[in-house]
Amino acid sequence: MSEGVESQGGGRKPSLIKGPREFWGGVALVVLAVFALIACYDLPGMRGFAFGPGTAPRMFAVLLGAFGVIIAAVGVMQEGPGVDPAVVRGAGLALILVLLFAAIDKFAEPLFTSIGYRNGESVAASFVVLVVTVAFARGIARGPLYVTAGVLIFAGTIRTLGLIPASFISTVVAAFATHEVRVVETLIWAAVLTAFCAFLFPYALNLPFNFWPQF
Amino acid sequence: MFDLFHNLALGFGVVFQFADIKINFLGFSGTIPLPMNIFFCFMGALIGTLIGVLPGVGPVATIAMLLPITFGLPPVGGLIMLAGIYYGAQYGGSTTSILVNLPGEASSVVTTLDGHQMARQGRAGPALAIAAIGSFFAGCVSTVLVAALGLPLTGLALKFGPAEYFSLMVLGLVFAVVLAKGSIVKAIAMILFGLLASMVGSDIETGQSRMAFNIPELSDGISFVVVAMGVFGFAEIIRNLEGGDEETRSIVASKVTGLMPTIPDLKASAGAILRGTVLGSILGILPGGGAVIAAFAAYTFEKKVSKDPSRFGKGAIEGVAAPESANNAAAQTSFIPLLTLGIPPNAVMALMVGAMTIHGIQPGPQVMTKQPDLFWGMISSMWIGNLMLVVINLPMVGLWVRLLRVPYRMMFPAILIFCNIGNYSINNAPFDVAMTALFGVVGYWLIKHDFEPAPMLLGFVLGPLMEENLRRAMLIARGDPSTFVTRPISAGLLAVSLLLLVLAVLPMIRSKREVVFTESET
Repeated sequence: MSEGVESQGGGRKPSLIKGPREFWGGVALVVLAVFALIACYDLPGMRGFAFGPGTAPRMFAVLLGAFGVIIAAVGVMQEGPGVDPAVVRGAGLALILVLLFAAIDKFAEPLFTSIGYRNGESVAASFVVLVVTVAFARGIARGPLYVTAGVLIFAGTIRTLGLIPASFISTVVAAFATHEVRVVETLIWAAVLTAFCAFLFPYALNLPFNFWPQF
Repeated sequence: MFDLFHNLALGFGVVFQFADIKINFLGFSGTIPLPMNIFFCFMGALIGTLIGVLPGVGPVATIAMLLPITFGLPPVGGLIMLAGIYYGAQYGGSTTSILVNLPGEASSVVTTLDGHQMARQGRAGPALAIAAIGSFFAGCVSTVLVAALGLPLTGLALKFGPAEYFSLMVLGLVFAVVLAKGSIVKAIAMILFGLLASMVGSDIETGQSRMAFNIPELSDGISFVVVAMGVFGFAEIIRNLEGGDEETRSIVASKVTGLMPTIPDLKASAGAILRGTVLGSILGILPGGGAVIAAFAAYTFEKKVSKDPSRFGKGAIEGVAAPESANNAAAQTSFIPLLTLGIPPNAVMALMVGAMTIHGIQPGPQVMTKQPDLFWGMISSMWIGNLMLVVINLPMVGLWVRLLRVPYRMMFPAILIFCNIGNYSINNAPFDVAMTALFGVVGYWLIKHDFEPAPMLLGFVLGPLMEENLRRAMLIARGDPSTFVTRPISAGLLAVSLLLLVLAVLPMIRSKREVVFTESET
């Protein structure tokens, strides 16, 4: 869709990698395969003729790596579309967002427990996610970032703040994923949706939810 | 033959069952017998259509979203509602194909060719109506077929050992590879990715934690809804958002006028519906994306037998009737491999397996003998589901069109919040919601690098089953891999898979395949 732009390093080197999109796609699969191999490094393998827990994952990881190499090789040799830098930026930032959320949620827990706010860390993580999103969302990266942020904020706040605040906040944040967003309309629409969900899920479908913050 | 009627009668008996519902309303209290299953089916078809008609939300995403609402129901009611949702979603996808040229899934891609042209000529009404009528006819025929073939195929299924199951799943995955758009190597890589992702969690035999990084929430593995909702739902939303243009999403919304097709229309499409139904029923039984190939095959066949092939692509009503009947017939008969062998032939069926497992039902040959009411009830509910579709959709086309006028900037936050709450409610786990965000990012990246997410989902679902049967087969054969080729059924299945792969890789066939697909995408 766009011209062949190298996603890493400076300058264009069209003679070296002819199809950057395929090439980087293959490389990513290889990285994933290696990651999986490391993750199941300590699992026992074959015992006699019986499969161990590690046999199948290792088998699939090796095959995935092999296919990744093939795809990358095709990318080197065959003329193909380039990598869209906006996509790399959007997906990369969104991935960082998820990792950031997970890290804060995991490692800040003792801190918040010690000052007496249980589950405070997930709200803090949501807040950080929101700040990072507002700071970095530009152009095409706007979509992936705000959508991811909306989902993460819902995950971070549903337990502590309850259904109504969580739905409202995450809907408003997600609505900013498009540049067509209108603030007043969004606030009203989010309130309507929240009211509808607060009726639909707990009453109509009989699912247990807290409506408001639990302190 | 007698058995067939007996079984269908049992099925309809279950569907029409009256349940005593306690009512406590305005001073009146007592029990009233109500046909709850019919009600569930109606609700399912209604909600399924309502969500499925949203642009960018295909049947897979719709079912993934609506799965949680069936959890609170009893198993029979839940599955019947699910069948309703399924047909509703399928028809909703066709509606967007015709009205806004936006296929909800691969199998309704062909419908856009002539359907959208008809809509542009102001004939959206007849197109929508003929799609519903064709689907209904195909549904009637294939329901009987499912009832007739279910039993013999179950007998076959009982002859299946681990080696045969493994080979059958290989065949299913090969079908998914061959039918995926674009590169075959990439489709295989996606299947492997799915298989690998399905290994996360506890090992089936030893209970050892695998690739879970000491995260307690991962010890049960990654939930299917998380993967499906992330990779299909969220990724699709992100992609739609960068498409930007508000106009491309709502061009013909204003022009639906006459609803019913004329007599010449009906005459022209009768043959097409019949041929589409036959083709669809046969191709649907094959594991792996039967509905997609059925729709393509029916369209191509219709073009071949037509006296004037040049009309196709310019609003020929046969071009809507044939693929719509075919994909519905195929969708129906694809229940056969699922219900009798327990093997999901495509991504939608994979979701159904997930749902059944949640209801405590292990799909497979035992379902028919151990829970006959469930099995036959579900088959009859398919027919009822089809009927509901016609009942709901013929009078309500105007309403669906109005729904399409809702601007996307308001639509997607609504979709997101429904997904989030539904997802959270399954396990009351914020972790699942966060994981879905991760898979949304992964799915977006995959789409952008031209990797098809559908084979990945199929691999993810088949992963645990495949590993289990592979391990068992190897154990029984004392570690001798030749067991897969010395057992006749298994060898036959593997030979067919190999043949298919070779055919797909052969450059001549491949270029032909690409022609079919490029034709459909314009």
